[in-house]
Amino acid sequence: MDTTTSPPSTTTAAVRARGLTKTYGSGEAAVHALAGVDVDFAAGEFTAIMGPSGSGKSTLMHLLAGLDSATSGQAVLGSTEITGMDDRALTRLRRERIGFVFQSFNLLPMFTAEQNITLPLELAGAKVDREWFDTLTTTLGLADRLTHRPSELSGGQQQRVAVARALIARPDVVFADEPTGNLDSRSGAQVLSFLRRSVRELGRTIIMVTHDPSAAAYADRVVLIADGRIAGDITDPTPESVLAGLDALRSLDDLPAVVR
Amino acid sequence: MLRLTLAQMRRSLGRLTAAGIAIVISTAFVAATLLAGDAMTRTTYDAVSRSYAQADLVLSQAPMTGKDLAVVGSVPGVEAVHAPLTGWVEVPNGGGITYLEVTTPAQDPRLEGSTVLDGRLPDGPGQIAMPADVVERLGLSLADQVPATQTTYREDPEDPENVVPDTLEDELELVGVLDDTGTALMGGGPAVVDRTDLARWLRFLEPEATTDVHHLVLVAVQDGVPVTEVRESLRTALDGDIAVRTVDEQAAETVAGLTNSAQVFTAIVLGFAAIALLVAALVIANTFQVLVAQRTRTLALLRCVGADRAQLRRSVVTEALLLGVAASVVGTALGTLVVQGVLGILTRMDTDVPVPDGVNLTAVSVLVPVAVGVTMTVLAALAPARAATRVAPLAALRPAEAPRVTHRSGRVRAVLSGLLMVGGFAGLALGVVIGPRVDLMLGLAVGVLGGAASFVGVLLGSVFWVPRLVGRFGRLLSRGGVAATLAAANTVRNPRRTAATSAALLIGVTLVAMMSTGAASTRASLDEALNDEFPVDVEVITANRSAGAPAMPADVLSGIRGTAGIAAVAELTSTVVMVNGTEEIGVDAVDPAAAAEVLRSPEQLAGLDASSVVVPAAVARWSGITTGSEVTMLSDDGTSLTLTAVVTDLAAYSAVVLPEVLEQLDPSAAVTSVWVRLAHLDDVERVVAEIQQLASGADVAVAVQGAAVERAFYQRVINTLLAVVVGLLGVAVVIALIGVANTLSLSVLERRRESATLRAIGLSRRQLRGTLAIEGMLIAGVGAVVGSVLGVAYGWAGAQTVLGEVSSVGLTVPWRDLALVLVVALLAGLLASVVPGRSAARTSPVAALAVE
Ligand SMILES: Nc1ncnc2c1ncn2[C@@H]1O[C@H](COP(=O)(O)OP(=O)(O)OP(=O)(O)O)[C@@H](O)[C@H]1O
Ligand SMILES: [Mg+2]
Repeated sequence: MDTTTSPPSTTTAAVRARGLTKTYGSGEAAVHALAGVDVDFAAGEFTAIMGPSGSGKSTLMHLLAGLDSATSGQAVLGSTEITGMDDRALTRLRRERIGFVFQSFNLLPMFTAEQNITLPLELAGAKVDREWFDTLTTTLGLADRLTHRPSELSGGQQQRVAVARALIARPDVVFADEPTGNLDSRSGAQVLSFLRRSVRELGRTIIMVTHDPSAAAYADRVVLIADGRIAGDITDPTPESVLAGLDALRSLDDLPAVVR
Repeated sequence: MLRLTLAQMRRSLGRLTAAGIAIVISTAFVAATLLAGDAMTRTTYDAVSRSYAQADLVLSQAPMTGKDLAVVGSVPGVEAVHAPLTGWVEVPNGGGITYLEVTTPAQDPRLEGSTVLDGRLPDGPGQIAMPADVVERLGLSLADQVPATQTTYREDPEDPENVVPDTLEDELELVGVLDDTGTALMGGGPAVVDRTDLARWLRFLEPEATTDVHHLVLVAVQDGVPVTEVRESLRTALDGDIAVRTVDEQAAETVAGLTNSAQVFTAIVLGFAAIALLVAALVIANTFQVLVAQRTRTLALLRCVGADRAQLRRSVVTEALLLGVAASVVGTALGTLVVQGVLGILTRMDTDVPVPDGVNLTAVSVLVPVAVGVTMTVLAALAPARAATRVAPLAALRPAEAPRVTHRSGRVRAVLSGLLMVGGFAGLALGVVIGPRVDLMLGLAVGVLGGAASFVGVLLGSVFWVPRLVGRFGRLLSRGGVAATLAAANTVRNPRRTAATSAALLIGVTLVAMMSTGAASTRASLDEALNDEFPVDVEVITANRSAGAPAMPADVLSGIRGTAGIAAVAELTSTVVMVNGTEEIGVDAVDPAAAAEVLRSPEQLAGLDASSVVVPAAVARWSGITTGSEVTMLSDDGTSLTLTAVVTDLAAYSAVVLPEVLEQLDPSAAVTSVWVRLAHLDDVERVVAEIQQLASGADVAVAVQGAAVERAFYQRVINTLLAVVVGLLGVAVVIALIGVANTLSLSVLERRRESATLRAIGLSRRQLRGTLAIEGMLIAGVGAVVGSVLGVAYGWAGAQTVLGEVSSVGLTVPWRDLALVLVVALLAGLLASVVPGRSAARTSPVAALAVE
């Protein structure tokens, strides 16, 4: 693994979860979306989270990113505990240390690509680092699309704009929830390879939720989740090893059904 | 389909509620207006019928004599007859005269129309009972002696060409105070005097008359005899000119004549209600447009599964109908409650305003507002309903897109709007030119038409210019931070909605600005006209100024100078001279420096020097003097002077010379009048009262008069009218502001995902709220600014058209009012953003990650 440009904290975890639980509703109707999750995500690493639908992947990511509050347990970003932070602190955290890429791009339709990319800096009132901006846009192949509005961009281009937006403020971690879910395989591959390059060459930390084994194969590591618990871990995944891991989960999953 | 409509309504309840409030307010306005007008009419009806006491029949229309009365008395079934004398009496008070209608008491108490509040009715000559409002106005109390005069003009026995006034003076004792409730529209109730007094006065006025004449005769019918039967007998027995009516018929007849003013009042207020309705219609159309846009997917799905266009249209119209009915019923109830409440308060406050103790719900007062509200709602929803039918079944499969102004309709609209604006403003300008120069009514008609056309053009074109303006303002602000940048970008995303929201506010603000500019300009030119007409604020004069006018007592002089609120004083000495051997005129002398300080239009004395005399235009006209002609003045003691005449517009009846000139004509001339200039015109009442107080202690008669009183009166009339009009237009502004809040909350709902994304990438709650606040203020601010500019133009053009002839109308911009309008609009825009802002800020960022 190429770590020459990585920050010195490479060895420490960028994100940690300890006994993280999330329960929706209460009593009879209670849904335990997360039932005590302990997991570390190393800095400078590209991690994929996988698992069956409804297993709690998105929930985990929301809690780690401070978008939602945990029922119990801890979520820690670097050395900052984010569970229990108030909204103001969380907003600052998201602004400065976290980036997001969404499945449905979520660009602002009234702004151009460039305005969308620099929006996080504007929100923070920070200056745009032109060099970094150019690096991002040229690597993402957006240089000649900067004055276009989202409605004039293809899905893949939109998602690349979203990736640039997530990286512009040099956040500690980028969370991506099914970033290729709405893209065809070619556009998806472009986005994924850029995500991997940004980890390898630009020293970013990325945590990505995905259903696609070949997408997961771009990651350095795959964390498997089932029924709100960590159910496995695959390092240096290939599409085949991921599929195998998922199959193992599925058979695990099917077991109770058979018993029942 | 109805079930579906209801389900959709339930889902859009919040949005419909906002539109519903607009309907509620405007229908409440209509209902309240109708009920208030009805209350006024009804009070009058009651007062009229009360004045007939327990009479059954009323004879009127033609004068009736004793002979007619004898006929009436002989008709079978007639129990009692009251044939009052009626006339007028003058009651001098202060400087003026109050004219009172008088009648005589009835012999039969059943036919006595006056109700005594205090004291009694006159029971002999030399007594009077007066309505309560008159007693109060004249500052009288029971047992006071009231001067009462009758004046007529008769041929001068020495000069048959001339008429001279002849006056009969009486002193009457005030013996009773009468109820005046409900007589306001009739010009006040009559006073009551003894029959012998009134007969004597009438004889004085018309010595040739040989018999008493009655204009109104009341008849009571015997119990058990049908009133209509007696009515018919009287009709056959009497001359055909005499109308015989039952009391109800007569009251209705009288009220129909009297309540013209009530109907005009109702019509004017309904005009304002129409403006409120128009604004509400815009808000409703806007809401439905958005509802349809938001339901595009659902509508398309329905089309996919087989709904036809007519069904979709019907669904939207049904929704409007239901909303219209519900909101209009609530609005009508609200309007009724408001009027009921106000009446209750007025009754309890025991004011002189005649009020019934409750509203009178008629089919008209209930059905009209409801019908108007429902019609307006349905009409406003028609265009959105058509838009619903245009949704293609395919739209269900496409991602939803914001509605856009299509190119073709856009071009038609742009051209139409441009034509209307150009033509309209040209008409307005033409009106300004024609009004004063050619014909006022024609100019006014052209101007009003032009103004209306240009305003329609502005409103039609709002889709084009509002977003552009908002964008420009927004860009100015965007240096202020992200919130402003976001707000500016958001406002131009949906041009049609932003435009309609801004336009709704524009209407109200334009009208308010127009009224206050019109009033301010009118006031300015009125002041100018008054300056010329009445150059002196207050003039204090000793009795009559013909020969031998007594000198102004020294203590009055010093007292005037010592009165607070006086800016300058000029003393005038006077005498009387024979001019050119033919006419006797008064000559005043005043120190030019002092006069220049006092006069509101000093140019009227310009050119006065030791060899000249200023002759007022009025004097010049009947004495044949012109500017530059020689005037020879011969004083009582035989001194003769020849001066050069300068004719000016001075509103006086005496010529004016320098003091040293007067000194030569009459060395003993004394100060007989004083000109006073007030520091503040608002002080006029107090100052006049104080000087009157001073003067009343003097042993010579001193009169206080001046333009300031009249000026204050005019200003108060304008101010009151303006306050009422602005208040009524305010309702339209309030409705428009509801529209702003509605638009904002719709935007919030639509942008849930966007807001969540922004929150996820670091927008704080406060910034999100700030964005909406700025958005609201931008929309409201642009409406208010443009409305103010237009209103100033319209108001000024109106004043120019109407008054251009009288005086040059300077453009007076009511800065204070405009600033107030702007501040209110901005605050309201801010306020309108509070609730939507809170709900937006509550949105969890998680929503951004959810897929639709
Ligand atoms: N707001 C909510 N209220 C109640 N239950 C919820 C809520 N959000 C999620 N859940 C439940 O929590 C569980 C985990 O949901 P989550 O969205 O994390 O699943 P996921 O792994 O992301 O699934 P997918 O792959 O389908 O996106 C599910 O059973 C879901 O029904
Ligand atoms: Mg998910």
